[in-house]
Amino acid sequence: MPITRRELITGVAKVGLPAAVVVTVGKDVLKTEPIPVPNAAVGLLYDATICIGCKACVAACAEANNTPPDTRGDALHQAPSDLNDVTRNVIKLYRPDDGSAFSFVKRQCMHCLDPACAAGCPFQALHKDPETGVVSWTADKCIGCRYCTITCPFHIPRFQWAGFNPRVTKCEFCSHRLEKGLKPGCTSVCPTGAVIFGPRPVLLLEAKRRIQSSPGRYFQNRVYGELDNGGTQALYLSHVPFEKLGLPELGPESVPARTLRWQRRFYQYFALPALLYAGLVQVIRKSLKGHEQEAHEREKETGLRAQL
Amino acid sequence: MSSVATNADSYPSTGRWERAVPVYGFPLVNGFFLGLSALVLVAFVLTGYRELAGLGPVSGMNDAYGWGIWKTFNVMVLTALGSGAFAVGIAAWVFRRKRLHSLMRMALLTSFLAYACGLLLLGIDAGRPWNFYWIVFPWKWNMHSPLAEVAICMSIYAMIPLALENIPPLLERLWYFDSRLRPGVERMERRLYAGFPWIIAAAYLLPGMHQSSLGALMLLAGERVHPLWQSPWLPLLYLGAATFMSFGCVAGTTMLCCLVWKRAMDMDVLDDAAQITAWLIFGWLGLRLLDILFRGALLTAFRFDRFAGVFWLEMVLVGIGGWLLRRSLRDHDARLMFMGYVLSSAGGMIYRFSPTTLAFRPNPEALYFPATIEILVSLGFISLGILGFLVAVKRLAILPAPLHEWHDMASYFRFRRPYIRWTGYFKHGYFGENETEAENSD
Amino acid sequence: MPDETGKQKPSIEQHLKACGVSRRGFLQLCSALMVTAPVGLALTQKGSVLQIAEAIGKAKRPSVVWLHFQDCTGCTETLLRTSAPDVAHLILDVISLDYHETLMAASGAQAEAALRQTIEDNAGKFVLVVEGAIPAKDDGVYMELGGRPGVQVLREVAGKAAAVIAIGSCASWGGVPSADPNPTGAVGVDSVVSGKPIVNLPGCPPNPYNLLAVVLEYVTMGKLPALDEFNRPKFAYDRVIHENCPRRAHFDAGRFAAAFGDEGHRKGWCLYKLGCKGPVTHAACATRHFNEIPGVWPIGVGTPCVGCTEKGVVWQMATFETVPIHLATPPETYPPIYSAAGRLQVGAAALVGAITGAVGGAAWVASQRFQSSAEAGVTRVAADIAYAEKLKGKPADKKED
Repeated sequence: MPITRRELITGVAKVGLPAAVVVTVGKDVLKTEPIPVPNAAVGLLYDATICIGCKACVAACAEANNTPPDTRGDALHQAPSDLNDVTRNVIKLYRPDDGSAFSFVKRQCMHCLDPACAAGCPFQALHKDPETGVVSWTADKCIGCRYCTITCPFHIPRFQWAGFNPRVTKCEFCSHRLEKGLKPGCTSVCPTGAVIFGPRPVLLLEAKRRIQSSPGRYFQNRVYGELDNGGTQALYLSHVPFEKLGLPELGPESVPARTLRWQRRFYQYFALPALLYAGLVQVIRKSLKGHEQEAHEREKETGLRAQL
Repeated sequence: MSSVATNADSYPSTGRWERAVPVYGFPLVNGFFLGLSALVLVAFVLTGYRELAGLGPVSGMNDAYGWGIWKTFNVMVLTALGSGAFAVGIAAWVFRRKRLHSLMRMALLTSFLAYACGLLLLGIDAGRPWNFYWIVFPWKWNMHSPLAEVAICMSIYAMIPLALENIPPLLERLWYFDSRLRPGVERMERRLYAGFPWIIAAAYLLPGMHQSSLGALMLLAGERVHPLWQSPWLPLLYLGAATFMSFGCVAGTTMLCCLVWKRAMDMDVLDDAAQITAWLIFGWLGLRLLDILFRGALLTAFRFDRFAGVFWLEMVLVGIGGWLLRRSLRDHDARLMFMGYVLSSAGGMIYRFSPTTLAFRPNPEALYFPATIEILVSLGFISLGILGFLVAVKRLAILPAPLHEWHDMASYFRFRRPYIRWTGYFKHGYFGENETEAENSD
Repeated sequence: MPDETGKQKPSIEQHLKACGVSRRGFLQLCSALMVTAPVGLALTQKGSVLQIAEAIGKAKRPSVVWLHFQDCTGCTETLLRTSAPDVAHLILDVISLDYHETLMAASGAQAEAALRQTIEDNAGKFVLVVEGAIPAKDDGVYMELGGRPGVQVLREVAGKAAAVIAIGSCASWGGVPSADPNPTGAVGVDSVVSGKPIVNLPGCPPNPYNLLAVVLEYVTMGKLPALDEFNRPKFAYDRVIHENCPRRAHFDAGRFAAAFGDEGHRKGWCLYKLGCKGPVTHAACATRHFNEIPGVWPIGVGTPCVGCTEKGVVWQMATFETVPIHLATPPETYPPIYSAAGRLQVGAAALVGAITGAVGGAAWVASQRFQSSAEAGVTRVAADIAYAEKLKGKPADKKED
């Protein structure tokens, strides 16, 4: 006999009411935790008002990481049009048609405090170092699913589309140079000091000092990355709106925290699924019993073996 | 074929579905089969090329659109169509709609084939598939990742509960094939049925988890998915779409099979299915509209851009599909029912496809369109699924039919394959047409 | 030449004073050196002209022997094309040019005697400058000096030298005589001489200040400047022309002269497409022009660089053949904030359309073939029920065996 409406409603109520109570009462417990900042968090501060667009950092990045220059555009110049599988760092130009202020912008991995790329990576190929906070990619664990290229709100990781051994490329703060006590390639060659390297707290202080000493020079008098997306380790100062430079307005909550909250809660300790499974097993057992009985009756009737 | 006269032979007659009967009298290898095989071969060759040349040369995927139709169509959309085992199963086993049991084998078969093809393409789409072995080490999984959940859950589901649920027709075939196999077959069946509650429960829990996680995948894309689709309810809406789409797929496929292979249709069962589907459709529509209303995104549906266009296309298709289903129940019209299933499934397919491609705006200057090779590979693997379906339906008892169909099948083989009796090797012949009353074990 | 009085040789400064060269002229030479060889030359790292002058002034005039082999004398000529100060005069005084076939007055047996005397008297102390390639094939019969094969002469003289400077491409790696088919087996000095420090100053001709800087460094600091893997001094040969070319901005902006005399050529645009070998040629011509007139150098006058310093480039590559860019650098253009990606293939679009049409059409056709069960169904259902009753009446289905 199929489930009656009464049974259905009482069943739902039996489960739903306690759940609702738990959720309401336990709301504070379920609030999002603050994102931890790594102890030795390094960062870079890019000041778009000082950048002259010389692109020395683009060439230096290629050299420091031993990647060939991207000459796929015209075979003559290292002219990547965007980040790609051989370009970890690029200088772009925002030039509005109406002639108002233009700006260069240096785009590379933001090394978020709660990276969406690492949150989505199935086998933790993208991993945030707990000490320095550098988000790096491990070839051994990557399955090439390209989910990181979709989840990153800044659209940074790039997949290598040609060849049978594709890699995922993005800035890793030249960690091989950091180990030797050197600075990342891009920050070592900037002629104007537009991009500087240092511990994140120090850079934040420096950025705030600049804002304070030149009020009105910087957009919204704030440094992008302090709280944006839960905080990033690459900080930006600009005189034009950040959105125009391709840095989206993300709010103070990180993308994974904001979007995966319920997903994480549902699967916490696998409790809810296990409960559901137990319930299902009970229901199906009862249904199976009835079904088998009927099948045997039909067997007797028709003389043909039952099809369960 | 059948021993009872039909009114005409251009449409299926109706009759009570009492037993699953293999499709007989239609050759397995015909023009359609060969055409599909050609597509499958083309797809295999192109897959080999993809493995050597990488993903760039064979597809339209680029830096802005990292996922192409292999992930977004063959996995996201087709496994939704292939959720019949989940949706029809829950209706039949949890909500105890007894009539739907006759559709169960069809549902299980279509689900298995859809998942098998989807998983194959998932493997082909992965850029570094040799690292899939990490799946065996649960402590290496990133359990926060929706994609990990999807990949792992789908694989486990397809390989264990779904496969096990699809074994009974095979065992049945073996039972009839040779009586010497019977003790072994019966032992396996007993063991299988003993574990059925656990297997079936898993077969409902796991799809529930990963079909909703398929929706959760695009949650992480945030603002880049258009507000008409991006919502915290995305997992639930994806799950809901999977339910009515899979009903449409199972019932629609069954109707189509009855039409093509001249079987009788059991309108009681189909009416039941149509009713459930209609409820699911209207529930889903309501949920979606409420969600859009509460998020304040309704106004974006009235702009003149392609997003509004796709949105209304989805809603109209699903809505009209649901309405047609209700009409068909009232008017007892199988035509309207079939169109209702087709339209609502089409709308659901577009809905599940949109957040990853049609409604995904990573970059105002970028676009994605699948390349020819990409389309051919996708098509080839769908053809593989259809081929598998044809083979299964013609060799195993999957498609439901009235009882006399079984006996007609037996008579057909008695006359068409007399050599089975002469050799005496298959002691009980093909599906029991040589059984006597005394030997009929019970 | 040894001093007439037989006393200690005077220092350069003393000698200059004796010859009547003004201090101003001497300082002008030193400041010219600062400009020409700022990096990598220890001498000019001194920091100020006065310091350089002091360093040079204290040095003693070294003995220099200059040998010619398969040459055109262009490298000597280039030395004479310095005008301010009168370097020809100064070089003959700053250094003690003890043997130079073009410039000396003696000839014949006297010349040979002078050579032998010089290398004996200054053994281990003189600097040997070699101009021209050395034919090594067939035991060097293709060039003889005073009846002796050039190879032999070189080995003998170099054996007694303190250092060898190979001036010009011919002496550095073979130059013009070594172009295919190289019938005489012409090679550079370092293929003949071993065991002595060799400095190559390739160029056809090289800039005279290269030689001057190397010699003065050696004289004042007692060592040769830093050399690269081809023994070329890094201060002049570590960068390619392309890196310092005044027309680089045109290259970076994509402005090329396409044909001689066209608009781009007349505007002074980059000559890359006309076959300029600048990107693969190591030399300093882009910053130090010739004849001390600014702009007088090949690219400056509108002719593409032929790569005269590089073995494997000049006289091997066609004049108008473009070279690959090994060290690609960013251009003058900037990518926009959002760049295009992906394209719509017409064939794929047609395929998708065809498939959608086919599937939709099939669904429509199929749906039309269903008929309302109300019309067709009632009798059938009744018939089925009757059949089921029939089954119930009989215990088992009768089947023939």
